[in-house]
Amino acid sequence: MAAIQPYNATVRECFENPDHAGDPQGDYDRVLKSTVMESEQGARIELWACVADGIIAKMRYRTWGCPHLIAAAEVLCRRLENGPVSGLSALDVSALIEQLSVPVEKTGKLLLLEDALKAIWAQHGYAA
Amino acid sequence: MSNKAVYLDYAATTPVDPRVIEIMQTCLSLDGHFANPASIHAKGRQSAALVSDARMRLANLLNTQPECLIWTSGATESNNLAIQGAARARAHRGRHLITMPTEHKAVIDTFKALEKEGFEVSWINPGADGLLSLDTLENELRADTQLVSVMHVNNETGVIQDISGIGLLCREQGVVFHTDAAQSVGKLDIDLANLPVDLLSLTAHKFYGPQGIGALYIADRPGNGIVPIMFGGNQERRLRPGTLPVHLIAGAGLAATIAASRLNDDTRHLQVMRDRLWDGIKDIEGLTRNGPDGNCYAGILNVSVDGVEGESLMLGMEPVCVASGSACNSTSGESSYVLRALGRNDRQAQSAVRFSFGHATTSDDIDMAIARYRWTVNHLRAIAPRSMAVS
Repeated sequence: MAAIQPYNATVRECFENPDHAGDPQGDYDRVLKSTVMESEQGARIELWACVADGIIAKMRYRTWGCPHLIAAAEVLCRRLENGPVSGLSALDVSALIEQLSVPVEKTGKLLLLEDALKAIWAQHGYAA
Repeated sequence: MSNKAVYLDYAATTPVDPRVIEIMQTCLSLDGHFANPASIHAKGRQSAALVSDARMRLANLLNTQPECLIWTSGATESNNLAIQGAARARAHRGRHLITMPTEHKAVIDTFKALEKEGFEVSWINPGADGLLSLDTLENELRADTQLVSVMHVNNETGVIQDISGIGLLCREQGVVFHTDAAQSVGKLDIDLANLPVDLLSLTAHKFYGPQGIGALYIADRPGNGIVPIMFGGNQERRLRPGTLPVHLIAGAGLAATIAASRLNDDTRHLQVMRDRLWDGIKDIEGLTRNGPDGNCYAGILNVSVDGVEGESLMLGMEPVCVASGSACNSTSGESSYVLRALGRNDRQAQSAVRFSFGHATTSDDIDMAIARYRWTVNHLRAIAPRSMAVS
């Protein structure tokens, strides 16, 4: 009998290999950063977008949270890195929830990531 | 690294001993002891004899009389029957009850239900070591106090309460004393002939018996009566109606005999396993042991660690099976109320891991747990914001 799996293969892979976790290293035209927290004792996320030559040259994050939040941050960074800066403008939370099979009671955690990305986009717009 | 599961969650439940499985199988088929033990025909009498034998075996484990034991479905039902049954039986004398916020939910929620019925409950906080102060208890006892309920071994931390001291205090004041001994029966030496305990709850699946069967001990003392909370038959002195599950009872009885025979060896083994694990992780920065070094059951080690999120910690521990706080609470997503009552903050409580050991636990199992725990803590700290770094 197969055990009930609370985490799908993507979540497990991102959890084991959080390649984009950590601080950004190197020189970039602009480094945008946001920090969002659920509450004083709750989940928190730091997100960096490093822009060079008109593209997102590097995405990085740090997070204290559940496996779904770690995986969501990792997937987002993989998706946006080396892409156009306009990618920072919106996060398709529904697609992310589906890709990571996030249980309904935890979907709020992904809103933290959305807030972090919005804050970065706002910085980009302010500076542009 | 091997993906074979390593089971270190024996405080949640234990695997059934093969000898117990064997005797249970003899109770299920037409040629076995499947008949209703309340039936007066030959097959029924055979089943009744098996039930009687099992009751004697459990009584021997606890050094008490078999007549003092009522079969139930487990510790949750025993706790409900003991607490509701005693409170209601003595309600005409007074409606003040005492317990602790570090009890199992089966006790806490029963007391909360009684509060809604108009009983007054005093919730005594433990000290930082998890222990109940006898002086505090003495101060809380009143002329109208009818029942005190304090668990023997805490299911999350392994803290062992002084049930002898608590019971003596209650006897002096004429108060009924109940203890939830789900985590101690079959693991610690319990001598009910000499312990001042009036009511004691137990369950077989914590000592290698089957799930779904437990018992309530009711001391044969004047004024120690309880009233039933279920109705529908004459079984178990009319206190617990329903057809007795012969296979479960036979299994529980044999498990009790086996537990008695292994108790000393198991205790030594559990101490070795616990100490090996503690020695393997105690140097981790920001690690806190939840529970005192002494007055603690050897089969449980509970630790919290700074800078690490609990759910991610549990995933990183795979394939080692451990509990986050209490297994019964693991689906709620709440941090452990027991650890918060001991003064831990939310982050410390939610990062808690309970390792619990059994007689099948090996040194290799412990070494695997040490390796996974250390890897996971380092892994998650490397991901965490620097502001949460452990200095």
